[in-house]
Amino acid sequence: MDRGLFERRLTVLLAVIAAAFVVLAIRLWQVQIVQGEYFLRLSEENRLRVTSVAAPRGLIEDRRGRPVVLNRPAFTVSVLPMEMRHPEQVIPEVVRTLGLDPAEAAARIAAGRDRPFQPVRLRRDVPKEIVAAIEENRMDLPGVMVEVEPVREYPLGPLGVHLLGYLGEISDRDLDALRAQGYEAGDLIGKDGVERIYDRQLRGRNGQIQAEVDAQGRPLRVLATTPAEPGNTVRLGLDLDLQRVAEEALGTRVGALVAMDPRDGSIVALVSHPAFDPNLFATSITAANWTQLVQDPAQPLLDRAIQGGYPMGSVFKVVTATAALELGIVGADSRFYCPGYYNLGGRIFHDHEAHGNLNFLEGIAQSCNVVFWTVARPVGPERLGEFARMYGLGQKTGIDLVQESTGIIPDPAWKIRTIREPWYAGDTLNTAVGQGFTLATPLQVARMLAAVANGGTVVTPHVVTEVRSPKGRVLLRIAPPAGGQVRIRPQTLSVLRAGLAAVVTHGTAASIQIPGLAVAGKTGTAENPHGKPHAWFAGYAPIDSPQLVVVALVENVGFGAEFAAPIVQRVFEAAFGLPLQPLPPTSPASAPAGPDRGGPGAGAQAPPGSPHP
Amino acid sequence: MNTALLPRAVPDRGLVPVKGLIRNLDFLLISTTAALVGLGLVMVYSTTHLSPHPLVYVRSQVLHLLVGSLVALGLLLIDYRALASSARGMYVINLLLLAAVLVIGRSSLGAQRWISLGPLGQFQPSEFAKLIIVITLAKHLSGSPGPYRSIRDLLPFLGHIALPIFLIFRQPDLGTAMVYGAIFVGMLYAGGARRRDLAALGVAGLVISPVLWHVLKEYQRRRLLVFVDPALDPLGSGYGIIQSKIAVGSGMLWGKGLFNGTQNILRFVPEHHTDFIFSAIGEELGFVGGMILLVVFFLWISRGLRIATVARDRFGALAAVGIVSMVAFHLFVNVGMTVGIMPITGIPLPFISFGGSALMTMLWATALLLNIGMRHQQLSFDTSPGPPVRVIRRVGGPERLEE
Repeated sequence: MDRGLFERRLTVLLAVIAAAFVVLAIRLWQVQIVQGEYFLRLSEENRLRVTSVAAPRGLIEDRRGRPVVLNRPAFTVSVLPMEMRHPEQVIPEVVRTLGLDPAEAAARIAAGRDRPFQPVRLRRDVPKEIVAAIEENRMDLPGVMVEVEPVREYPLGPLGVHLLGYLGEISDRDLDALRAQGYEAGDLIGKDGVERIYDRQLRGRNGQIQAEVDAQGRPLRVLATTPAEPGNTVRLGLDLDLQRVAEEALGTRVGALVAMDPRDGSIVALVSHPAFDPNLFATSITAANWTQLVQDPAQPLLDRAIQGGYPMGSVFKVVTATAALELGIVGADSRFYCPGYYNLGGRIFHDHEAHGNLNFLEGIAQSCNVVFWTVARPVGPERLGEFARMYGLGQKTGIDLVQESTGIIPDPAWKIRTIREPWYAGDTLNTAVGQGFTLATPLQVARMLAAVANGGTVVTPHVVTEVRSPKGRVLLRIAPPAGGQVRIRPQTLSVLRAGLAAVVTHGTAASIQIPGLAVAGKTGTAENPHGKPHAWFAGYAPIDSPQLVVVALVENVGFGAEFAAPIVQRVFEAAFGLPLQPLPPTSPASAPAGPDRGGPGAGAQAPPGSPHP
Repeated sequence: MNTALLPRAVPDRGLVPVKGLIRNLDFLLISTTAALVGLGLVMVYSTTHLSPHPLVYVRSQVLHLLVGSLVALGLLLIDYRALASSARGMYVINLLLLAAVLVIGRSSLGAQRWISLGPLGQFQPSEFAKLIIVITLAKHLSGSPGPYRSIRDLLPFLGHIALPIFLIFRQPDLGTAMVYGAIFVGMLYAGGARRRDLAALGVAGLVISPVLWHVLKEYQRRRLLVFVDPALDPLGSGYGIIQSKIAVGSGMLWGKGLFNGTQNILRFVPEHHTDFIFSAIGEELGFVGGMILLVVFFLWISRGLRIATVARDRFGALAAVGIVSMVAFHLFVNVGMTVGIMPITGIPLPFISFGGSALMTMLWATALLLNIGMRHQQLSFDTSPGPPVRVIRRVGGPERLEE
């Protein structure tokens, strides 16, 4: 290489670098000498204040675009630790004005000591009168700030609360994990339901204002601002009208209802009673309210539709019938004789009545236990379990809600593993009619029936169908892939469907005929150790091209046909625009026992043999 | 492949007496390096001694300094030309490490930059990659020494750095990717590429930058936007710039004195012991301290360029230029960032910022410079394997005019 050229180029390089150094030197001179005094003043007096502008949380709307969750502006009172001149006087004063618990407020302020330049929110949604009192005393309260922040509003109150969820202040543990994603101390974060699962879509991005302030903390000059970006809009599969009808139909009873589109798994209504008002949480809940909710024996926080594990009762016969038909053990016309009891090696299992001579189809329609006990033995517990799992029972459905229960589908291996006891023939009989150890959530039952309705697809239920930007651009369409496929022959399916249709035309649920709408379904009356049986009804309609599956469960009331079927009937009527039938009078449920949340012991206590209408 | 270099290189190996080598060590380079590293330890202590564990950071930095220096000593014992012959392997290992970061790397602040070494902590391959790129590119440039008559002759070198840059970009680490760019430009310019070709590459880079914009993570776009318009000021970024300026500016002429930086101010400034350590220097040591720091760095850089001029071969000369380009770019971008004339890109201040991988990389870069310097030929004649002088004269248009 040409040494001369190389050396000349190195000289140029050195000159360029030297020029860059000169630029730095000039800049340092500018910042430190020319503007030095100004910056020194800013640094000494902490006159730079950064306030966060809370982003309005995204809206939640129903299937038809009607708002379900909104925001409203409200006042938030905070303190800025670095600007507190006399905290020992100011803090008690503010705490008293706001009506806060002094210990709680002190703990909050202490937690913010690490970041003295960040305001610590003392109370959100402060009433106007208190804000006025604070503003009047502004001069005596340096470091106290009043800001306007959006507050979450649930205009429908407790309606659909288990699905929508609620907010709470971010916990320290969550904060550690989420700080990198822009979460800050004191932020409200979804704690349950859609608010939690879709928090990142809903939260938006906080804006910021940097201002130079005077000694009283009044802004003199805004140095920089970023507007807050509102969160995205979340559209639910929920139909507000249907949800309202379903809530009313369940009334004051303890129980749950799931309405789902069997074609895509979108949840159209989801009810769990008793419920609670999410507005209690909108500004972070008070300790007293929280304690009350948690200690309520009726467990209002529990979402019975997805977290409650219940014995399925005769609704499980869908599985037993599928197994018996598919394995060729019975056909639609197989004949049975029901004397009203079943003799298992000297042990007598009683049916609720003597059905006499009947075929398998009628066995489904009348929910004859003897028929199902008879077919259960050749099917055997293992294959019963296999078919149940094929329908998605005993596993989470994958719905976009939290803490879903798995349920239990027992078989001999499970019993040895969990209870350390061998499987008896009696267990097979109990399992075949949905008693014994079996536990399922109403949502799982809805998914099972949806598979019958749609021809075998085990859909993945989902609450949210779409996420849009505030400007309306579709960001996300939610259509989760199916969870599986029930592989059965078309004949099996058609017998099954005929049996479920017969349940409503002249079987156990003949009482809920809806003029103009062909419904198929199955009743269930689940014995349980907590009192009266749980009432179940799981139905779909219309029979020819099913559009809706509705499952109702009422805790500890009695027969499924009597208590659950009318609720489902009413929801179907509303869904298909038919006149609503009057509801039977409901009396408040007796002491609610709560569902079995999957503990094997609870199911094990159920007596063998279950009467069933 | 490198027939010109090898016959001359082999007989020399081990024949130069150790005493001569030591005499050839550039003591000014060593002392400026020591001064910078010393200042770094003091400033790391100053910015972290108020944290719950005052000595943790300094201890870690000292540990890395000791290990790094030992390895650097080892590097001095090996003839640097041995590095040239293992360039290919280094290049491959480098790519594997950078790819590994993407697969098994640990995330922090939205980017995956670290590989965990279990109890030994973690390291940042992209730091070491800077030095490896200098070595492999120097080898590549000395293997095909030109003349580079058109932009097409530069494409192989572009390909050389494209892959590592792409991997770094994916982490994403915009700043480090830019460092590679600076190394590339510096070495190609010194290596004889035509100015207009380099300028064309720069223009091409600008043209494809809209594409890169889409590759960038949200927070990086924000940082760039904030640099262009601080009033946009999204969370943190613009805030950091203003706070850093306040810290530096409030130091005024003499500074507030060592360890006297306002604690609050230091807490205002994000990353004050790593990327923003200069804001502490500006605050505590003032304009005078900052100027002295710049002078020391400039001395270091001028020694580095002197070594490039005396290097015995093209590989050594270009490697020295690469190292100097790297350090100068780091310094300018880092200090510029703290005073608001460069975007926040997460580039540490060489020798000074807290961070083991970066410190060791800089120590080894210095060792490589010393190595090249102490093995130069006493009698200066052209030992490079390049083509005869006249050919280049005919190629370099503008240079000829200056003659």
